Amino acid sequence: MKKIIFVIMIICAYRLVHAQEAVVKSETVPRKNAYNEPISAPFAQGKFVPDISLIADFSIAARDIGDERYAALEVPGLIHAHGHEEHGHEHAALNAKNGFNFNYAELSLYSVVDPYFDLFATFHLSEESFEVEEAYFTTRSFPFGLQLKAGKFLSSFGRINEQHAHYWDFANQPLVYRAFFGDHGLLEKGARLSLLAPVPFYLLIGGEVLSGENEVSFGAEGFEDETGANSVDDAVGPELYTGYIKTSFDLGNFVVLMGASVAHGSTRINHGVDEPIADNPEGHAIHGITSIVGADLTLKYLLDSYRYIALQSEYLYRVFDGDRYDNLGAKAELEKEQSGLYIQLIMRLAQRWRIGFRYDLINKNEIKAGGAAADLPENLVRYTGMLEFDPSEFARIRLQYGHDRSSYLYEGEKKKINNELVLQFNMAIGAHGAHSF
Amino acid sequence: MRRVVMICIMLMALGASRAEARLNVVCAYPWIADLTARVGGERVKTLSLSRGNWNPHFVVPRPSLIAQARDADLLIMNGAQLEIGWLPPVVRESRNARIQQGQKGLLDLSSSVTLIEIPADVSRAGGDVHPEGNPHYALDPHNIAPIAAVIASRLTLLDPEGRALYETNLSMFRADWNKRLAEWDTRFSALKGVKVVSYHTLFNYLTRRYGIVLVGTIEPLPGIPPSSRHIESLMIRSRSEKVTLFLQDVYNPSKPARMLAEKTGARMIVLPHDVDAVPAAKDIFSLFDTIAGRLGR
Repeated sequence: MKKIIFVIMIICAYRLVHAQEAVVKSETVPRKNAYNEPISAPFAQGKFVPDISLIADFSIAARDIGDERYAALEVPGLIHAHGHEEHGHEHAALNAKNGFNFNYAELSLYSVVDPYFDLFATFHLSEESFEVEEAYFTTRSFPFGLQLKAGKFLSSFGRINEQHAHYWDFANQPLVYRAFFGDHGLLEKGARLSLLAPVPFYLLIGGEVLSGENEVSFGAEGFEDETGANSVDDAVGPELYTGYIKTSFDLGNFVVLMGASVAHGSTRINHGVDEPIADNPEGHAIHGITSIVGADLTLKYLLDSYRYIALQSEYLYRVFDGDRYDNLGAKAELEKEQSGLYIQLIMRLAQRWRIGFRYDLINKNEIKAGGAAADLPENLVRYTGMLEFDPSEFARIRLQYGHDRSSYLYEGEKKKINNELVLQFNMAIGAHGAHSF
Repeated sequence: MRRVVMICIMLMALGASRAEARLNVVCAYPWIADLTARVGGERVKTLSLSRGNWNPHFVVPRPSLIAQARDADLLIMNGAQLEIGWLPPVVRESRNARIQQGQKGLLDLSSSVTLIEIPADVSRAGGDVHPEGNPHYALDPHNIAPIAAVIASRLTLLDPEGRALYETNLSMFRADWNKRLAEWDTRFSALKGVKVVSYHTLFNYLTRRYGIVLVGTIEPLPGIPPSSRHIESLMIRSRSEKVTLFLQDVYNPSKPARMLAEKTGARMIVLPHDVDAVPAAKDIFSLFDTIAGRLGR
């Protein structure tokens, strides 16, 4: 009996399948797998998910001074230890503590918006904060090699400013960049127009109008001193302008990239000028005009598909002209003339191994307050070496040694040589777009 | 100052005249440029962004490539994500609206061939996987003539006045190609059943077409360099499976293959994967001649 039922079932199933086949065959437009897959998903948007990636950066650091003294290190006239908490948010500098550090996680989204725009966003995540690091659009179809970029973005000033931390060749940024632009680089709200010139080689010319909020060289927020004697208004609209020109050509396997940049804008920096002298005996503020010019050169020799030797250098020069205010109501003329550079040599020895050396120098550090020159140290140097093992394109393990002779401890203005060893882990998951040169 | 302006104007004029003379086609790899030049003839100016002896996965996106892509009327790419690591920033930064995704000026050749080895599970635990399948389809000589036809129709779409020329060139190329194809078929078919090991899954379209048996790869997973343990196990397998040929590409280290060949009594041969990978492979015909010659020796 069971057998008969089984046979009948098979016959029925056979007929059913064949009946469906007949239906499919009679259609003029055959559909792939029409009888076992839903034909349509009329409201599905899954294919429009943007490229999403997450990059996380961890490190283990060991240095010959404690965390508190390390945090208090300054470069006289350039890097103030107390500067970081004051601009409203507090997240640790890279590799700030002896022992384990969670440096950051970077969440990026990218997609085409429509035929006319691309949208990029990068979120900087630390243990306690979620910040929009960048969010900007670029145009896709401007004529004559022009492109407009607007939103919040890293300025195209110089060579390294535009690069995110995970793409740097070292676990920290060059000294002169940290001195002139702070831990975040020149990161501003604004707009950029750039032109890829119609010449037979690479020539990029661009200009930016930026809000000028950079807390180290510029700043848009006004202030009033504690006595009320002097005050400076907030910036009205954008007050920072940059311009740059970059060119590149190849000589066989030798790639040359050169650039020149300028940033010019108004400066308003308040270091406690509005606090009573009893609370902050050092309270002061500055207001004036800052110009920074930069020159960069990258030489890269490609030995084969994996190996290369790259020499990269940037020189930055900053001039400030304005006034210094203190919290007793005094105002004095203030002039600054400072410059520095870095030179780095990176070698990729094999598919997975890179080695690099960097030399940082602050060669000029002149400040004149009220016509009298301040006694500031010059020729401050830092040496950094790194060895990198990249198990794949998505993981990077880097051992870095830094010998810093540029930093001073605030108490007593004493030079403190800082040696540090950093073991850094940087991992990327998801769809992260390819990097430019 | 005046001199600088003059030089700029002259350079601009140079750029402009170069662009208007004929259809400017920028190709991702040399084999595409060679094929396009054959179909396009004198109406088309072609150039290749990468060189034949480079790893096609890792071309350095030098700024000069951006300048080359700037004036392109058509960008022809291999596709199947072979260029994922270098071409996107070049296209984006070229500020060339004609070659952006969705435009007629971007041609992805992978969509006109049947891809093999499409992974069921896409995870980077499997190394540098290509979700769309193995992108090295150009190494099956049977894929070349259909691709030439796709290029011809795209050239016609962009330059309808050239239709007659493109059609003539295409049929001439097809006739030549099919004649040679019969010859290559005979030579490659003689290798049926021969057991080989390659560094990467680079020659899989060729081995699959002619029944050459790929026993393993020197890299344990795509894009991951070999460990000594992997080499050890590959040596044991090569011996037991009686591998006779180690196929070495021109851009990966040849030391492991040479060592394995020596120890197992097999032969290592360096095969070109693209036009100009070795001096003998100077165009698409001699590319397959070289492969057939070196395999058959």
